[in-house]
Amino acid sequence: MVFWIIAALFTLAASYAVIQPFVRGSRTRTQSVEHDLAVYRDQLAELEREVKQGIVPERDAEEARAEIARRMLRLKDAADEETARQDGKSRTAVKVIAAAAILAVPVLSWGGYLLLGSPGMPSMPLQARLQQDPSRASLEELLARAENHLSANPDDARGWETLAPVYARIGRYDDAATAYRNSIELEGATAERESALGEVLVGAAGGVVTAEAEAAFQRALDLDEGNPRARFYTAMGSAQEGDVDRARAIWEAMVTELPDDSPWKQAAGQAAEGLAPAVTNQEDVGPTREQQAAAQEMMPEEQREMIEGMVSGLDARLRENPDDPEGWRRLLRSYVVLGRRDDAEEALSRAFAALGPDSEDAEALAEYANGLGLTER
Amino acid sequence: MSVEIGHFALVLAFVLSLVQSVVPLSGARLGSERLMRVGEPVAVTGLALIATSFAALTLAYVQSDFSVLNAWENSHSAKPMLYKITGTWGNHEGSMLLWVLILALFGAMVAFFGRNLPPTLRANVLAVQGMIAAAFLLFILLTSNPFTRLHPAPMEGRDLNPLLQDVGLAIHPPLLYIGYVGFSISFSFAVAALIEGRIDAAWARWVRPWTLAAWAFLTGGIAVGSYWAYYELGWGGFWFWDPVENASFLPWLSGTALLHSAIVMEKRAALKIWTVLLAILTFSLSLLGTFLVRSGVLTSVHTFASDPTRGVFILAILMAFIGGALTLFAIRASRLAPGGLFHPISREGALVLNNLLLTTAAATVLVGTLYPLLIEALTGEKISVGPPFFNLTFIPLFLPLLAAVPFGPMLSWKRGDLPAAAQRLQFAFAGAAVSGLVSYFLIDRASVFAALGIGLGLWLILGAVTDLALKMGVGKVKPSVALRRLKGLPLSMFGTTLAHAGLGITTLGVVCVTILETERVLVMQPGESMEISGYSLEYEALQPFTGPNYTEERAHFAVSEVGGRPLGEIVSAKRFYTARNMPTTEAGIRTMGLSQLYVSLGDKTNDGGIVVRVWWKPLVTLIWLGTLFMMVGGAVSLFDRRLRVGAPSRQRATAAQGASS
Repeated sequence: MVFWIIAALFTLAASYAVIQPFVRGSRTRTQSVEHDLAVYRDQLAELEREVKQGIVPERDAEEARAEIARRMLRLKDAADEETARQDGKSRTAVKVIAAAAILAVPVLSWGGYLLLGSPGMPSMPLQARLQQDPSRASLEELLARAENHLSANPDDARGWETLAPVYARIGRYDDAATAYRNSIELEGATAERESALGEVLVGAAGGVVTAEAEAAFQRALDLDEGNPRARFYTAMGSAQEGDVDRARAIWEAMVTELPDDSPWKQAAGQAAEGLAPAVTNQEDVGPTREQQAAAQEMMPEEQREMIEGMVSGLDARLRENPDDPEGWRRLLRSYVVLGRRDDAEEALSRAFAALGPDSEDAEALAEYANGLGLTER
Repeated sequence: MSVEIGHFALVLAFVLSLVQSVVPLSGARLGSERLMRVGEPVAVTGLALIATSFAALTLAYVQSDFSVLNAWENSHSAKPMLYKITGTWGNHEGSMLLWVLILALFGAMVAFFGRNLPPTLRANVLAVQGMIAAAFLLFILLTSNPFTRLHPAPMEGRDLNPLLQDVGLAIHPPLLYIGYVGFSISFSFAVAALIEGRIDAAWARWVRPWTLAAWAFLTGGIAVGSYWAYYELGWGGFWFWDPVENASFLPWLSGTALLHSAIVMEKRAALKIWTVLLAILTFSLSLLGTFLVRSGVLTSVHTFASDPTRGVFILAILMAFIGGALTLFAIRASRLAPGGLFHPISREGALVLNNLLLTTAAATVLVGTLYPLLIEALTGEKISVGPPFFNLTFIPLFLPLLAAVPFGPMLSWKRGDLPAAAQRLQFAFAGAAVSGLVSYFLIDRASVFAALGIGLGLWLILGAVTDLALKMGVGKVKPSVALRRLKGLPLSMFGTTLAHAGLGITTLGVVCVTILETERVLVMQPGESMEISGYSLEYEALQPFTGPNYTEERAHFAVSEVGGRPLGEIVSAKRFYTARNMPTTEAGIRTMGLSQLYVSLGDKTNDGGIVVRVWWKPLVTLIWLGTLFMMVGGAVSLFDRRLRVGAPSRQRATAAQGASS
């Protein structure tokens, strides 16, 4: 409402600017030529000053005087012409133009603004948005507010701890990991914090339990060997590396040990069910083709899709960022587990290319691949 | 709400500019004094509205209102307040708004200070100004609206281009635009006179202050831009013949020509047609500059072709105004009465020579700027016309011009005496020659070119001083009389002296730094030191530092004279702006007298060292000091009493009442 009042006042002021010459009395009228004459008189006066100062010699001054005088004479003709022109009978035209101009101001401006503007949309200064009632703010606004607070007070451990799960929930895993790390650094490590850090690292890697995440889970287990989150993900890491037995053992132990109301009990149960049957007798050789085929058949469709998703995520990551021996190892293992032998071999040659065929990393990887029954193509 | 008020004010200003372009013009044609007078209040109100609009946009930046698309794209809440404000014009939309704000300011100034103009001329000038304003306001509203809103509003902005977060760039565009846009007044005067079909010596007197003001600001704008490039880009160069620079240099060249030809027209009523043409061309070059910089055509002809809305719009404006003005010129030029005659060797002749060389130089720069664009448009091949082209074409044209400058003011009007002028300049010439010889024999590595260049610079300075001394009558009259004469001289003569001397000072700076600068590039480990031109630089340490919206690594260097006393510290830094992931180089500059030591950092090496580039730039500050002289010269001339010829005599009797009403 205030906006419309101000807009109306602006329009009034603009209209007044157009009307003003018509409502105010006529000024004393001067002819154009008088303005010209004023300049030439000034030129004459200036000339006299310069002559007096000796800048212009008298001989030149005489000529200049004559020239200026001729200009003044010529003006007389122009003056006559001007008088003739002003006698024109154009009163109607003047009225029409004036009326059109006065009308155009409100019509065009309001029309144009309604077409282009966003009337009624309030200004949103950042400070005011950050201070508004939290219950009406969006998640994004709350986050920005918290970030603002933390950038000013980076030592607020509780702030980081509160913010971290929020980041994790909206998928900003890297920020979540930073937040957990800050909180661990400020308040010290607990099994809960370390395992939560590991979990968001898994999220950041697209579901793959990376070495970094595994280390976090290990630290959590060192602090509390019963931490269910750390145990669950350790098992998942084992499963991803093909150590299905260990995974099954952990998950089944969780099912028996955990109380009924623990959310991890159910999760571990489901995960164990989804695993391939135990594979025995594979101390130093990789799974045989038949065994892999069997594992594939046993894998429920859903779980398979999930793992495939993780693996392709890892694959993509390694294409972007190939200098990661640990990642290659995991990828090879995953392809073998999924029975995609060709892909595994192709990945192996890519890994060699990326790590440099003669490097130590490549040699270690070759050994590892050998263990999986892969050969370099 | 303020954002929408700003938007509404902008639309309203557009409508008023339409009124301003039609009503006074038809008033002048119909001989209706009231219609003619509409232009003045409308121009003033238009200024108030655009200023409101600009203030609203600035407020959105200051408050980090990211519901404004423009603020979100170019601001960040963590940015220092100064750069929040200057960020308003650090982008396309905001800078166009600044452009029309300045245009409106000039229009309002004509309305305000133009009482001494004949009513029809004033009405027509305001109408042409109104047309330019209308065209650009429409352009802003339709293709570059800074008030476009975002819903829902993001919580954080994308930050201003780090290169632009700098004090130099904060003042560069306003100065440059005042220059560019100031020439719109000369243009409007030219078109208005053509519409009336009558141009006299008085016209030149009326245009002169506007041209002078525009020229002085443009000079300042170019100088600040050049200094910014010098220290912010980290290459240590002061002029790159970059198309953006050329775009501002072109109107400066033709504007300088206009300034001089207007003198001839005012004094002798000669060169009328040429002066009018120059007025049109100068603003056309300003528009061309705006087009080149704002349409994106410089980045790539192809990006321009793929999103051509803005570019085509500006191009249409360009063609309408330049084409329209030149057509009008073609129709009316033959009707203009020829003015006074003059001998080739005379003040007029010297000014014609000045004009010929300046416009040819401008044409050269224009070709060098547009040719690559043309080639890219026709063949798709990207070529760049660099300094070699301009060194080969522009400099040979400009050197004779510089050499001729001191002669101009020595020659008298109508017919001059060249030998006599040369005789009067003998001391200046002797001084320049001696200094050239001295520098050739005494300064290390000074070549013949350096000696000639230094001589040329001093020739200009001494020539300018000689002119003033002769006008005072030094040597002919007693010192006390000479001093009294000095006080009596018109301010415009001081202006001439200052500007011509400034030209010499800049020339001196350019020559010295181009020919005599030394450069060293090396990898330094902390604790190592190096020597350059008699100074010793010790690399102490690299320290991290966190700014409001950037992090940087600062390298500290201790400076001292070789084997002598310490001279403090130079800090050079590599800065990283997090919001845009952009690194910048912050050169460390230490001014010693008129020369500078310039330190810029390169990449870090694996063994903990860092690549350091160090320049010794002798007399480099003279380049910008000279432009300061030129600006001051322009300003001094502007206050010459002759430019403030009052209203006609009939009103002079009632001037006291007139002034108060």
